[in-house]
Amino acid sequence: MSLQILVLTVLDGIAYGSLVFLVAVGLTLVFGVMRILNVAHGSFYALGAYAAASLGLVLSAYGISAWFAYPLFIVAAVAVGVSVGGLMERFILRRIYVREEYLQLLVTFAIFMILDNVQRLVWGVQPYFYTEPLSLMGNVTIVGIPYTAYQVIFLPLVALFILFGLRWFLRKTLAGSLIVAVTEDREAATAIGINARKVFFLTFIIGTTLASLGGALASPTTSVLPGMGAEMIVLSFAVAATAGLGQIGGAAIAALLIGLGRSSAVFFMPELEVVVPYLIMVIVLLFRPEGLFGKTTARKI
Amino acid sequence: MTALISAKDLAISFGGVIAAEGVSLDVFEDDHLAIIGPNGAGKTTFLNICTGYLKPSAGSVTFQGRSILGSSPRAITRMGIARAFQIPQLFTEQTVLENMLIAAASQARRFAPFTPLMQIPERKEAEHILELVGCDDVSDRPASELPEGKRKLVDIALALALKPKVLLMDEPTSGVASSEKFDIMDTLIGALREQQVTSVFVEHDMEMVSRYANRVAVWNAGHIQSQGTPEDVLQDPEVVRTVIGV
Repeated sequence: MSLQILVLTVLDGIAYGSLVFLVAVGLTLVFGVMRILNVAHGSFYALGAYAAASLGLVLSAYGISAWFAYPLFIVAAVAVGVSVGGLMERFILRRIYVREEYLQLLVTFAIFMILDNVQRLVWGVQPYFYTEPLSLMGNVTIVGIPYTAYQVIFLPLVALFILFGLRWFLRKTLAGSLIVAVTEDREAATAIGINARKVFFLTFIIGTTLASLGGALASPTTSVLPGMGAEMIVLSFAVAATAGLGQIGGAAIAALLIGLGRSSAVFFMPELEVVVPYLIMVIVLLFRPEGLFGKTTARKI
Repeated sequence: MTALISAKDLAISFGGVIAAEGVSLDVFEDDHLAIIGPNGAGKTTFLNICTGYLKPSAGSVTFQGRSILGSSPRAITRMGIARAFQIPQLFTEQTVLENMLIAAASQARRFAPFTPLMQIPERKEAEHILELVGCDDVSDRPASELPEGKRKLVDIALALALKPKVLLMDEPTSGVASSEKFDIMDTLIGALREQQVTSVFVEHDMEMVSRYANRVAVWNAGHIQSQGTPEDVLQDPEVVRTVIGV
């Protein structure tokens, strides 16, 4: 095994883990607060990617510098997360909070299927490529290996920013404290007059925005095509479950673990690439059913 | 005298157990009303009805003349009826002051996403209430680390941050060492007086009742057996026999 392959494995794992973290952290936040496992979370990843790629292609059609693509990615992610996520919470989820969890699971799965078809309807089935933001940042050479700065520096920085930003938000701001209060004890929170509906709404659009941000940032690194949402929801669920559902810091470590596991498989046992993330999840859950960082409490799913 | 809370002909039962049947009870302004009675008599049920957690099968409850039946616990809290629980419900991961600020912010309907919690305008008042209940010394400690007595007082402070007119308490000093009981109750009643809050508390300890209540209602087997001043009620031979059990 050469050193270069090892370095490449680590870099691939970091790049991939950063993206998975962005999506998984939204999933785990929504579950931690609202106790709903949102299968449609993957759709927001896909919608974010499509929206970002479309806007990017418009930019290049008009010959506008791709530097504008970065802020535009954020705009696209927020627009998708807040509008589609907001509508979904307001008109669908709000009606099923008190229902059984299997029903909640079925409803979010149905929304996932609907949104998947909406994507095909709007964008068709041909893949979209918009890679300019990737090449624009150039390459860095790490231990003799050239790698795109976008994937190995920019994406991990965004992931770290989101991780610490989210922790700061939940611990230090008013709205964040209200979210934590509702998570810990919804009844007591309601008893002191906290509007749990508002808290749920805010939490959900933060979660969906994070998923679509993951998609938007992933779009330059991959071809945007149908099915990308399905792949991502399964993977981010594996990350969230490995970490322990609701664990934000844990999701970062689990994402890195699964990213590294996947890239190791790619280089050393390619035929296992697809199963490695789930293998890691299964092994962790066999020994720690509450996840690596989860607390031992009764869980719904 | 005007009744703040007025319950008329309440009826509710659980399975075969009657918790209330034809119960009428008024809470007047500036009352410190103690509800006493045997276990399972329905005392806590009354608090649950007044705070919207339970709906009686018959009867009415008004607060300042407005019916509160069918209103959500949150709406009732907003009207001015707050509640402290038998087991203090604090948000354990946050500090005492943060707990207070969360309560004060939700009372003021504040919800600005990025406002730092520690900088909301309600902070001064929250700190004042903590001082009133003698908990300003623990304001920076996580709620989970508090000794039981302090937890009780912080729980009351949380309820006071909601600016209630009436505070309902379920055995405010249960689980506290008997040597601490009177200190805690002195502080608590002092804070209630300062904030001009009427109170209703369920209590088993007759010494507490005679010391802190100005009125007592005896709840027995779903009925109000007797009510009046502590001096009269606690002397009543029937009450002594059924409730105090001497």
